[in-house]
Amino acid sequence: MGLSRREFIKRTAALSAASYVGMHLPFSLEGKARAADADRWVRGSCRLCGVGCRVDLGIKNGKAVALRGVPESRTNLGYVCMKGMLFYKILGHPERLTKPLYRSTKTDKFKEISWDQALDIAAKQFADSVRKHGSDSVAYYGSGQALTEETYLFQKIMRGGLQTNNVEGNPRLCMASAVGGYLTSFGADEPIGGYADIDQASCFFIIGSNMAEAHPVVFRRVMKRKLDNPNAVKIINVDPRISPTSRIADMHLQFKPGTDLAILNAMAYVILEEKLYDEEFISNYSTFRQSKKVEVDFDTYRKFISDYSPENAAETCGGNITADNIRQAARWFAKSNGTVSMWTMGINQRKRGVWANNLIHNLHILTGQLLKPGADSLSLTGQPNACGGVREGGGLCHILPGHRLVKKEKLRNQVELAWGIPKGRIPPKPGYHTMAMFSAINAGKIKAIWVHCTSPAQSLPNADLYRKGMKREDVFIVTTDIFPTKTTELANLVLPTAFHFEKTGVYGCTERRSQITPKAVDPPAGARPEVWIVREWALRLARELNDPVIKKCVEPFIGKEESFDLPKAIWDEYSQKLTKGRDNDLRGATYDVLMKMADGVQWPAPTEEFALTGGTVKKFVRGMDPMADSEARDDKPYQFYGPAHPDRKLWIWLRPQQGPAETPDAEYPFYLSTGRIIDHWHTTSMTGRIPELMRANPYAFVEINPKDAAKLGIKPGDMVEVKSRRGTNVLPAKIYEGPIQGMVFVYWHDMFEDRMINRVTKDAYDPGSKEPEFKICACRIRKVSGPKPLKPYIVS
Amino acid sequence: MPIGGFVISIDPSMEKPILKNLERFGDIEIHGTDDSGNIVAVIDTATSDEMEKLVKTLSRMDGILTVGLTYFNAEDEIEKIEAGEFVPKISFGKKNN
Repeated sequence: MGLSRREFIKRTAALSAASYVGMHLPFSLEGKARAADADRWVRGSCRLCGVGCRVDLGIKNGKAVALRGVPESRTNLGYVCMKGMLFYKILGHPERLTKPLYRSTKTDKFKEISWDQALDIAAKQFADSVRKHGSDSVAYYGSGQALTEETYLFQKIMRGGLQTNNVEGNPRLCMASAVGGYLTSFGADEPIGGYADIDQASCFFIIGSNMAEAHPVVFRRVMKRKLDNPNAVKIINVDPRISPTSRIADMHLQFKPGTDLAILNAMAYVILEEKLYDEEFISNYSTFRQSKKVEVDFDTYRKFISDYSPENAAETCGGNITADNIRQAARWFAKSNGTVSMWTMGINQRKRGVWANNLIHNLHILTGQLLKPGADSLSLTGQPNACGGVREGGGLCHILPGHRLVKKEKLRNQVELAWGIPKGRIPPKPGYHTMAMFSAINAGKIKAIWVHCTSPAQSLPNADLYRKGMKREDVFIVTTDIFPTKTTELANLVLPTAFHFEKTGVYGCTERRSQITPKAVDPPAGARPEVWIVREWALRLARELNDPVIKKCVEPFIGKEESFDLPKAIWDEYSQKLTKGRDNDLRGATYDVLMKMADGVQWPAPTEEFALTGGTVKKFVRGMDPMADSEARDDKPYQFYGPAHPDRKLWIWLRPQQGPAETPDAEYPFYLSTGRIIDHWHTTSMTGRIPELMRANPYAFVEINPKDAAKLGIKPGDMVEVKSRRGTNVLPAKIYEGPIQGMVFVYWHDMFEDRMINRVTKDAYDPGSKEPEFKICACRIRKVSGPKPLKPYIVS
Repeated sequence: MPIGGFVISIDPSMEKPILKNLERFGDIEIHGTDDSGNIVAVIDTATSDEMEKLVKTLSRMDGILTVGLTYFNAEDEIEKIEAGEFVPKISFGKKNN
């Protein structure tokens, strides 16, 4: 008997789920027509976090109608979260931008213009600024959501064409401290291992991360490991806030915000005191460092760490921290067959974020919990292409493509040679980092900025201060985006772009893995891929400034068809010329190879043959990493060839406890921290337009510990003012045994002015990574009224 | 009417009461279970909004650890939205607060 179409789809759904857990169902669809499901499936990556889940997008009659996980993918093993499942609703959304919009002054209303007019205006404004105020009066501010091809081409035009290193991106706000940590501890950016270690780990150390909400598919994998081995696998969760992640933990260490460095040093203390360290590993592969130039010995480190006895740390850290649970955590960490640490913004968005990263790495180096199966120090990335596009592709002010430092002449010359532009064309001085860039806008030093695929008007800390600069009439702002945002509200020129699966390009996720997403559907009429926009803009810039070198920057791409051939040509140039011989060697990860692989390629992957195996699962391990063999200097099994450590060692750092830039006082007695919620992505310009996600969490609220709420007479739903030295929000209260007493927590996605928490956060930043301390500032709270009816708000 | 394929991970010792609880939801079809605490289920709801709410409800139930989605098809709902037969219930505007 034939199956109805819906019955066919239901059986497909059941078989898909059953296949993931190896369950046999009493039916199959062998020999049945597949057309009821979708006309075709196009394989790509999810767009809404840094995990890199692989999905098949189902297309019927030219429209996206279905989505399924890819079981063969080593990133997600076929699972996808609800946020990911619904992202296809952004394709064809009625509020998509489809016409270039322009206004000469920011008080005017936008008017629709043609693409020719728009590109002429953008070129003239940038050219005028360069002519009148010099190259450093223009800037590009990009995104960890932009494709690698986009970031690479933008930065090529800015550096090689316009001769400025004012190239930045929002990853500065989320993972710059992780970059600093990897470079200073391991000598090379990005993790040594990856998700595969989760399946073999016996201890998980999750600190400063609510991965259950921010990275649900990786969290599922951790939980599966725990469930399959409930007694053998231990999970330690370290966070001032009890979150959904805490519910699977064997131990939750809840501490006073900003005292994390003391906990990490105290764990090192226990590791030394109880001789839990790996002496052979330390002596073979590591050194101790007080600063970049000052090396010290083990005894000096031991003396330094003696200030951090668990008893001392418990006193510093408060909360539920005791000397005993620090000792227990250290033992689990050191003695397990394999320990994986995972962290996100709770560690990175700190005044001493790099130090906090160093101290996590210290624990792994001391105990040898690295380089072996089931052991890794794994920073989880928030955005889908912060690693691939921005960290590797040259998307920050101090780095060129292929992990090259701007300040090194030899490395600049390599890039100039690859681009075929005159030696010395790329300026030697790094540009403005993010906070300096927006301060320069405030000061009127930057006259034209291109903001791509991000919304700094909402995502910068102390946002009101920087919005003042963005409102200046002498600052010309171009934005490229798919929806109106808080930043398009401050722009002069808004350019509508193609979305994911409407164009082709590569994302590089947390674990050094590059994955392609090809075009599957047409963008709405009028929206164009960014690579086309940049190429056409650059050609006009070359004419405006009468500068053939600018044209030279896009010459290899002229005439290429925009949806596949153009991004392929850009990727070819980047991967073949700019990553050759670098630690992120991607020469084997050609479009041909990436299209064949279910889950992309992990670098280094110098040849196609090696890339077709999936690439390097463990960096620095001979026999697994081809560069560990080709760069080997001795017979040891591990070779640390990263560009930042000429001594080829792992560095154990002496980093003292240091608190946040602002601590509570009599006037502002509470800590304020911020974070993500499972349903929403960043500033909600996308997820806020998906009704199912918006209805689940339509507005931000302030989480208050029940004891604090009782003291202040605040009841659930009451409207509460959250005020800092910088700004004020008024939000509904959620009374919740989540934040530690004395701390409140607010989700940062809400666009409504009174609930936009970055008007309240502080813009202090790490002196090394320049990443702001979003996670901690001082505030006061008070009830302003009982519950009020609220509505969601999205810029339209 | 969207259809989703799910692996629901549970505490294996609570399989019986959880399955009994799941039976109360008319929109859920159970296709199989195993000793490791996996339940293969298909959820068929009137709208994807309802599916989202149901998944949240399940996620909060005692003994259920995660509700993992593996397949999602919303062709019927998309057709209805495009034909104007179904309007998502949420609206936006600058005057909202």
